[in-house]
Amino acid sequence: MSDLSDAGLRRRAGDLPPATAELVDEATVCEITEQAWLALVGEDEVLVPLPAPLPAETLSSWVEIVGPWTGAVVLTCGRDTALDLTRALLGEHAPQEVEQEDVDDALGELANVVGGNVKAVLPGPSVLGLPEVGTTPPSGREADSVRVAVLWRGSPLTVRVQSVLAERENEVPL
Amino acid sequence: MKILVADDSRVMRQIVIRTLRQAGYDDHDIVEAEDGRDAYEKVRSEGPDLVLSDWNMPNMTGLECLQALRGSGSTVPFGFVTSEGSAEMREKAADAGALFLIAKPFTADTFTEHLEGVLA
Repeated sequence: MSDLSDAGLRRRAGDLPPATAELVDEATVCEITEQAWLALVGEDEVLVPLPAPLPAETLSSWVEIVGPWTGAVVLTCGRDTALDLTRALLGEHAPQEVEQEDVDDALGELANVVGGNVKAVLPGPSVLGLPEVGTTPPSGREADSVRVAVLWRGSPLTVRVQSVLAERENEVPL
Repeated sequence: MKILVADDSRVMRQIVIRTLRQAGYDDHDIVEAEDGRDAYEKVRSEGPDLVLSDWNMPNMTGLECLQALRGSGSTVPFGFVTSEGSAEMREKAADAGALFLIAKPFTADTFTEHLEGVLA
């Protein structure tokens, strides 16, 4: 009986893509994010891997990946942090008053670069979508995600690699 | 010498231009394009010596822009600066006639390495 159950489980598991955590780990996501920060935000802009609660008002940017693994890479931070990031990315071209269009652009581009590099370690072929920005990121599956929490200039931000697969919920041993 | 920087992100265009300066290419004229179609038109009107283009852009992708340029007889040196650097994309870029593909995130050294021979 147990042999049959095992075979059934193997067959079911084989029909599904591997869990997100089996494809990419926290250390890899952290390293990808750090590289993006050092190159785009500034060479002295270190990220400290310490979890801290996000503020009440947050902004997220994300890119979707569609392929053997389908989901999204979501960057979330406080609104003030998003403004500071935009100023840092624009550098000397940052205007006195940063417009929301620039914030969306800057935060979206960070998600795009992190997402593009996460896509490279996931199974392919897959397609990377254009970056999107908003207060409500796409709802992913918390149980099938990899989440990294860091501090930038003392402010918290998170990067989540989250699957949108619903089928995995039913994957339980028989 | 004139360099056309094509990216739908204004922030990323600024970062590319800043990195060009850090890499020592600060005496070149820079022209910006906000998508592939804009880049295609500005290659015709501005006659740049090099195009640095994002891949994933609305209206016309960087790859479609390069293919359209080559299809119209343009031989302008063309390189991609994109957030994806898979072997498949590098092959597509090379097949379409791109000189190189720089994956984001990049550094000034990466730019120097790829641009040295092109903007000598």
